[in-house]
Amino acid sequence: MEQTLAIYTQGLMKSYGSVRALRGLDLEVRQGEIFGFLGPNGAGKTTTIRCLLDLIRPNGGTVRVLGIDPQADPVAVRARVGYLPGELHFDENMSVESALRYLNSLRADKHAGSRKADWEYVRHLCEHIDLSIKLAIKNLSKGNKQKVGVVQALMHRPELLLLDEPTFGLDPLVQQEVLRLVQEARDQGATVFFSSHILSEVQEIADRVGIIRQGVVVEVAETASLINRSLHRARIRFKQPVDANALANVPGVKVLAQDDGQTIILQIEGEMDRLIKTLAAFAVIDFETERPSLEEIFLAYYEADRNHVA
Amino acid sequence: MDTIFRNALSRYRGQILGWGLSLAALSIYMARFYDTIAAQKEQYMKLIDSFPKEMLVFFGTSEAMQMFTPSGFLNLEYFSYMSIIIGIFAILAGSGMLASDEENGTMDLVLAHPVSRAALFVGRALAFLAATIGILAINWIGFLIGLPGTSLNINAVEMAQPFVSLFGILMLFGTLALVLSMLLPSRRMAAMTAGILMVASFFITALARLDENLEKVAKLSPLNYYQGGLAIDGLKWGWVAGLVGISALFVLIAWWRFERRDIRVGGEGGWRLPELLRLHRRQIAAGNKV
Repeated sequence: MEQTLAIYTQGLMKSYGSVRALRGLDLEVRQGEIFGFLGPNGAGKTTTIRCLLDLIRPNGGTVRVLGIDPQADPVAVRARVGYLPGELHFDENMSVESALRYLNSLRADKHAGSRKADWEYVRHLCEHIDLSIKLAIKNLSKGNKQKVGVVQALMHRPELLLLDEPTFGLDPLVQQEVLRLVQEARDQGATVFFSSHILSEVQEIADRVGIIRQGVVVEVAETASLINRSLHRARIRFKQPVDANALANVPGVKVLAQDDGQTIILQIEGEMDRLIKTLAAFAVIDFETERPSLEEIFLAYYEADRNHVA
Repeated sequence: MDTIFRNALSRYRGQILGWGLSLAALSIYMARFYDTIAAQKEQYMKLIDSFPKEMLVFFGTSEAMQMFTPSGFLNLEYFSYMSIIIGIFAILAGSGMLASDEENGTMDLVLAHPVSRAALFVGRALAFLAATIGILAINWIGFLIGLPGTSLNINAVEMAQPFVSLFGILMLFGTLALVLSMLLPSRRMAAMTAGILMVASFFITALARLDENLEKVAKLSPLNYYQGGLAIDGLKWGWVAGLVGISALFVLIAWWRFERRDIRVGGEGGWRLPELLRLHRRQIAAGNKV
């Protein structure tokens, strides 16, 4: 099974001293998909990616990247992967072109699966995100450095892209262009694993989404089904003012807003059957449901966690 | 590894030229200065005789007359303090060989490419070695330019010998800084610790020439095995081999550590000691419960 997966982790654990960053992380990313890895800062996204590249060593669990154990053969993994770090830094004394050529030269031909970049393709990428390769790195803005990072990750057409917050620091137009390039890479056969806390971009391009919370993956689902499933928002208009507590006591229902007692906005987690049966006792004028955004689902997970902790 | 080596060496380019050329200029000046000193030998002897003898001994010259021999002159005026001067380069370069890239965040990107940690380590270490040899070679060439036309009758091979001795001591302090950078939480702390040890070694070695009681301690001091300019009269290869051997051991320890530990990102380094103490306390607590 793990041979056919681009990324496979089971029970992955990593601690920094007394801080447990990953607490048994299970993850399966299929080949050819765009997988969005969602979580707030400190949830363990970057730690996971750095374990996949053998930059840090897990304390326990299993990791396979393209069927290879990164600790046993890190060079073979890196030969087939393009990586954009979350904290991106270049040698400031280089120009964009010399930095890209240097990184390209690190992909020696002797490594199986390692491909050097086609320079025409590099120019194509730079044109798309409006990046001049003649500029000195030290003169670039944070956003432009991020563009260099995106180009170096994509330029050798890797089988697997590991992108840690790829649109961080980019203006909205370039963000869109980067997301388009990521989709283009997927269309050409690459698997894309990208972490983000910008939910709209995950929603826009990811085939599947994994939500990480305190070092554990709490949910993995198709992006569309995650949005459609389980969480709904309902706006109910009553003929007469209603006590919202009567609805708040229904399991899975949370009162989000209450205007004048006649209009109530609810968030419903799970099936609506209990709510609808409860509403039968009231005179309802209007009942509207909305699809929640991924952001709302994401926040619901974290809110549940906070309540659990409390 | 070839790419890593070339890139690292190109980053040393400025330092090789800066250190090399400035010290080469000093070496030309010193070589030319010898005849001026020799011409005024009697006046200098009177002057030196008025100084406490300990001052000369401190800088590695036992008698005033020795200052007028080619090796004694170059030792006192140049090589006695060159271990500290170029030692600063060795310590900064050794401590920053890997740790500075970790601290400025550029190592993640390099190691995300098909480059093994071993290749990165060896490429960087060879570049450090080449840079040190480059600085010393430019320095040596400076002397070869400065010596002709002076009464310093030293040939090219004899002139190379103090640089071989200097190479040994630079390797030792450079690799000490490297191994400390793999063990301590930051590059700065590694450089500072290695620097303190180098200066301490300089004083212990110098004071041991004045105080017999310090001789035993001085045997542990690396600079005790640095001949300086006196190597012109004959190089002690055993001392050089010893210094290079200990340097090789430091390199192996640093390599072993680098292969096994996490690649740090800026500000992530930490002491292992508090963690071990915490673990020890937990074990004691667990034992008490049982």
